[in-house]
Amino acid sequence: MNQTVASYLLQYEPVQQLLAFLSKLLGFNAISLLYFLIFALAILAAVGFLSLVGGLGTYAERKISADMQARIGPNRVGPYGILQFLADGVKMLLKEDIVPTQSDKFLFYVAPMLCIVGVFGTIAVVPFSSGFTIFDFNVGLVYLIGISSLVGLGVFLGGYGSNSKWSMLGGMRGASQIISYEIPVVLSALSIVLLSGGLSFSSLVKAQGGWPHQWFIFHNPFTFVGFFILFIGSLAETNRAPFDLPEAESELVSGYHTEFSGMRFGFFALAEYIEVFVVCGLAAALFLGGYNVPMNLGGDGLIGQVLQLGSFISKTLFLYYMVIVTRWTLPRLRVDQLMTMCWKYLIPISMVNLIMVGLWMVAFDGKSIFDLIFSGASVATGTGH
Amino acid sequence: MFDKILFISSALATIVGAVLTISVKNIMHAAVFLLLSLLGVAGLYLTLGADFVAVIQLVVYVGGVVVLMVFAVMLTAGSSGQKANRFGLVKIPTMGNFRTYTIGIVFAALVLMTIIKLYTNVFAMSRLAQIPAYSPTVSKIGISLVGTHVLAFEISSVLLLGALVGAAIVSRPRRENR
Repeated sequence: MNQTVASYLLQYEPVQQLLAFLSKLLGFNAISLLYFLIFALAILAAVGFLSLVGGLGTYAERKISADMQARIGPNRVGPYGILQFLADGVKMLLKEDIVPTQSDKFLFYVAPMLCIVGVFGTIAVVPFSSGFTIFDFNVGLVYLIGISSLVGLGVFLGGYGSNSKWSMLGGMRGASQIISYEIPVVLSALSIVLLSGGLSFSSLVKAQGGWPHQWFIFHNPFTFVGFFILFIGSLAETNRAPFDLPEAESELVSGYHTEFSGMRFGFFALAEYIEVFVVCGLAAALFLGGYNVPMNLGGDGLIGQVLQLGSFISKTLFLYYMVIVTRWTLPRLRVDQLMTMCWKYLIPISMVNLIMVGLWMVAFDGKSIFDLIFSGASVATGTGH
Repeated sequence: MFDKILFISSALATIVGAVLTISVKNIMHAAVFLLLSLLGVAGLYLTLGADFVAVIQLVVYVGGVVVLMVFAVMLTAGSSGQKANRFGLVKIPTMGNFRTYTIGIVFAALVLMTIIKLYTNVFAMSRLAQIPAYSPTVSKIGISLVGTHVLAFEISSVLLLGALVGAAIVSRPRRENR
């Protein structure tokens, strides 16, 4: 059955009392209304949180890059400049919305919407914790991959509709890059689906444990490689350096969003930063144990949920930090290098990985490498059993 | 109630998208409306409880087919000289001659026959069929794909292999005849 945040909350006594009260007050069974209210609140919370993460992401990016280049970075707005993203947001809202006269108006309006819809559509299945997954869809992984491909279309149409050479080149690069790198990402995610035997995020996460040796990244050598393939692929899918060819500042001014100004540009930027969070969350859920807490501390109660939220978000933010550090460490690839890396290295490696993970499942009965070592050690020393 | 709202919005998206797809002049805009229509179809699948088909619709059509179409339009537009504008085709002279009309009528008749054949079953039913309670379909589809329908599954993989080999032959550099 599909678990949702509403069905989780309805286990609790106060929520059931609220349901009874509402039904009595309104004179009909208020379960649909309550579901609607809970979903609305949960989506509002998730969208607000992710927008905050996206906004703070721009701040973190500047601050970390400044740190790496021995500068200070934003330091005027608020303590340590932490309110800089609010100032930026206000600036973008107040800016004049310029639409180039020669552009294709319809595509120009639609492109930022597609980007933001594609990213916010993924929130529905992001597994924040065992209770607070808005909708634990039983094919959640495929849904996430499908709906996030709207972003690629948005990038491309934004570049095409601007009717400018820079935007056009950026959009073409973006679309081809996003399509190409989807393949290794999906293949390495499939190897995890093989291991856990489910497509929903709850089954993917619950097949792992709280301690690092129970995570899928350390399950066997092939998943260890698979994690890095997924991470590199998601860097490319979100147009982050060293794969930021679609918006290469030194060649294409700003790539596919050169002609966009004001909040339309803001949508592109926000979509990019939130998508980075979502793909980092995907990597954390698939390989780093997701929301699992060691020793199942706190259980399934509210304290457990808070701990699980902390576990998931700290893993995701660690990966987010790694993404930013990578951006300011590596130079940009050339287009041919980008395609060579994807089609000649990542895809063959991930295919071999997928087959080898399948063979590992057959050969060792799905046991992880640590299980094998521990059981071997206990047999050798005569302890255990 | 909630189901009905979902159904009506998905059906509206499908129909409005489809009508706009064939009525707008600009082929890129048509691709965007086709996207709307395909998303609506995915929503219709979901209201019927076919979760796996719905997400595959998202992955294949939204993520693959529409992007490919847009790519193809972009790479071919302007290459056929004066007949095409920036966004694709304005008018092709051969669009309305006797041959095309004949082909069109034949295919319209075929589609109409299929629709009538489908709808006779629908009208034969006395009342609206009850949709069975929701149950996950992924494992059932997987088991029948490698179980009872394994032959069709394998034959489609041969087809894909053929397409792959064909693409490799088309795209590899020609050998010079010495």
